[in-house]
Amino acid sequence: MLSLNTLIGASLGYAALLFAIAFWAERRAKAGRIGWLRSPLVYTLSISVYCTGWTFYGAVGSAARNGFEFVTIYLGPTLVFIGWWWLLRKLLRVGRAQRITSIADLISSRYGKSTTLAVLVTLLAVIGSTPYIALQLQSITLSFSVFETGGNADLTAFWVAAGLAAFTILFGTRNVDANERHHGVVTAIAIEAVVKLVALLSVGAFVVWGIGGGPAEIFAKAPPEMLRSDTIFSARWVSLTLLSAMAILTLPRMFQVIVVENAEERHLATASWAFPAYLLLMSLFILPIAIAGNALLPAGSNPDLYVLSLPLANGQNNLALFAFLGGFSSATSMVVIAAIALSTMVSNHIFMPLWLRFSPQKTETSGDVRTILLRSRRLSIAGILGLGYLYFRITGGSGALASIGLISFAGSAQIIPSLLGGLFWRGATRTGALLGLVTGFAVWAYTLFLPSFEGSFILSQSLIETGPFGLEFLKPNALFGLSGYDPLVHSLFWSMTFNIGFFILGSLFSNPRPLERIQSSQFVDVFRLENATGSYLVSRSATSEDLFTLAQRILGGDPAQRLFTEMAKLQGKPSGLPDATDSVIQTLERELAGSVGAASAHVMVSQVAGGGTVSVGELMKIADETAQILEYSQQLENQSHRLERTAQELRAANAQLTEMGAQKDAFLSQVSHELRTPMTSIRSFSEILRETENLDLPDAKRFLRIIQEESERLTRLLDEILDLSHLESGRGHLPLEALSLQDVIEKSLNATGALLKEANFKVELGLPNLPLKVHSNFDRLAQVFINLISNAVKYGRGTPPVLTISLTTKNAMAVISVADNGPGIPVADRKKVFEKFTRLSAANLAGSAGLGLAISREIMRNLKGDLKLLPGREGARFQITVPLAHK
Amino acid sequence: MSGPDLATSATRKRKLRDGAMLLPVIGAFLLLSPLITVFASPATLFGIPSVFLYIFGVWLGLVVIARTMAQRLDPG
Repeated sequence: MLSLNTLIGASLGYAALLFAIAFWAERRAKAGRIGWLRSPLVYTLSISVYCTGWTFYGAVGSAARNGFEFVTIYLGPTLVFIGWWWLLRKLLRVGRAQRITSIADLISSRYGKSTTLAVLVTLLAVIGSTPYIALQLQSITLSFSVFETGGNADLTAFWVAAGLAAFTILFGTRNVDANERHHGVVTAIAIEAVVKLVALLSVGAFVVWGIGGGPAEIFAKAPPEMLRSDTIFSARWVSLTLLSAMAILTLPRMFQVIVVENAEERHLATASWAFPAYLLLMSLFILPIAIAGNALLPAGSNPDLYVLSLPLANGQNNLALFAFLGGFSSATSMVVIAAIALSTMVSNHIFMPLWLRFSPQKTETSGDVRTILLRSRRLSIAGILGLGYLYFRITGGSGALASIGLISFAGSAQIIPSLLGGLFWRGATRTGALLGLVTGFAVWAYTLFLPSFEGSFILSQSLIETGPFGLEFLKPNALFGLSGYDPLVHSLFWSMTFNIGFFILGSLFSNPRPLERIQSSQFVDVFRLENATGSYLVSRSATSEDLFTLAQRILGGDPAQRLFTEMAKLQGKPSGLPDATDSVIQTLERELAGSVGAASAHVMVSQVAGGGTVSVGELMKIADETAQILEYSQQLENQSHRLERTAQELRAANAQLTEMGAQKDAFLSQVSHELRTPMTSIRSFSEILRETENLDLPDAKRFLRIIQEESERLTRLLDEILDLSHLESGRGHLPLEALSLQDVIEKSLNATGALLKEANFKVELGLPNLPLKVHSNFDRLAQVFINLISNAVKYGRGTPPVLTISLTTKNAMAVISVADNGPGIPVADRKKVFEKFTRLSAANLAGSAGLGLAISREIMRNLKGDLKLLPGREGARFQITVPLAHK
Repeated sequence: MSGPDLATSATRKRKLRDGAMLLPVIGAFLLLSPLITVFASPATLFGIPSVFLYIFGVWLGLVVIARTMAQRLDPG
């Protein structure tokens, strides 16, 4: 036999090891090296906190008493986990999106952040978990008692409770933010999960192959009714499976490890098969151990302790000690997680609201609140373990472990209608949830929880046996005359009937508040909402009532009415609200933005103001985003302006190019035409000269003169074309110098003197006396003047012919005007003056190819000046501008 | 990829999701319906009662199928 000291030493040593592991994991996580601390494996193992002392000891007891029934407690969670895709996944997603900290938080959040519901669920969770915690204390004290060490059971339970409270407080209340997960605790729980699995498998293997002689022999010892009884596969079988399926979702500690402590959603995919596999392994040897215990141990042995007593009876002290530690692991891990989950609920939903209401100063710094919160959590943990201990003392540690656990299960299962309804039914309301929960819990307490005290708490023994005031139909075990059923099935049936009935009726006959409506869509449509990434729009499933309610709150009753009637009319509806299409939502958002600004309207339409769903951080983020969008759109606008300008320039360039192409074509055809005329005459006269015999000498001379003249004309033409192309390409670099403008004009007049004289031109000069210095090219400038003067002589002959040349300065430019008093240039021709090969229709004199003005203008432009035709009624007036020389 | 391939893969994905929805229903049918009483007979296999084999066999089968599907389903 093992001594008490050995046991205590082993327990303390094991506890110290867990402390060390938790401490190490906590340090590691703090240093940012989370790694495998948050792997799918650790997640799965932490979920195995579902297997408590009840599983470790109680399942064997249950199997010894009721055969296969124990397996239902593990089949329910198996079904829930393999169906993770439609339920657990949604639960996790909602939990993350809404930053849910507990099951009470979830229910309250779903039904419009109702404080009443939060308080209610918290109270119910605490009441429901108390027997469960007591069960763990009981399993540990029982396990001590097996070793017949003579220790005091109450004292053992007390010290275990105190030790667990210390561990939980130490590692469970390090940080306030419940979203920050408990790395240390979860790692320790994962280690414990391995210990309890290996311990149970070891005991199982020892029993089957060590003392049982193989599976066949073990099962041969089983009484036939254990495996074949039709009563096993009955209403109780189905009820228990459903009950355990519900419990894994609603037990506070399970919600804590599955939803709150979950690091990544994909871990759930692994847990979906790994956790059922873990349960399968845990259950595998339960039945053989129970059969062996029944057959091999003396009558009167407690079946709940077969796991320990079988090795002990066969002198396997070390195995027994290992099994003891496995049981210790199962019990402690449950208590720790449950205490963390419950203390979070109590402090968040009961303590904080009270403290905020009654604290003298309302505006505390956040640091103060944190301290208060931590203190309240620590107090809650102590209180919850105290309650568990109290329950253990009141019930006197009696009763089978399994039945105590089932009472707890049935209590927490009351949350299921509100939970599932909240996740899948948009019409579920706060009133419905409240009514369902209250009636369900009342019936559970009356028919199962209070009778479990067997008369020592609130309900007296006589009341349990005969009903209150002797009213038989109100008997807790046979409510409304429904007798002959197992108490658990009976209680589950009535509590669920009332719960679901009132939940549905209450939801149908009540109207949700605006925040409830919004929250219901946030929960029910959690996947659809996320698919509309980045947009703050309410999803398509937002009902027009929600939007109308929102509009009423912001815009006021009448304007909202008008807006919605208008939108309904646009949709072709004579009356009523419009369908909540995207355009309606956008219109509404714009309208709201007019009142409260775009950012706030976004927030309101997507989340409805006033519900506390919008944190300051979120608002800042949205405001920031709006600013970014503004800046971005401004950049876009600038860019589009630039693009527009460029496009305009390109269009102009293109037009110019097209025009130039056309000009070039025209030029080429003109050139060939101009070249052909002299060429034709040259060819024909040279033919005559060659072919005509006996040509007169004077005729021949005349013909030769014509040929010469035509050749000269041809050369001149080609020279001009070359000159023009040279000037137009801009390659003809003209050397510039300072020169006197009067000199240029004088030279030009000299050069054309004969021409002028021949035509009897009178030249009038308006030149300043002082020489005007310009920065230009002498020869080219003279060429322009000569061209203008000869043009005037050719086309501008008045009666009597007068040529006027005047000179002024303007804006650092010399301005020279050359005018004649001839017929002038018709308005229609003025634009064509500078085009190539233009010979104005009126006076077409031979000798000019019509390139003169085009060349002159090119020269002036190359000289940084210009040549223009000035409008006027009489004669042609050309104006030349030349840059003045710098002083 | 071309259209038909996309359609095929979408169909496969949908079927996988339908399967994931149905798996617990099938499990519940196998474990909770009166079907189970069929196996609650005195028959044994290698000395192990048929009902034991049935329940743990179905259980193991569910775990294996769930594992196969979980690896193919993308939680996103």
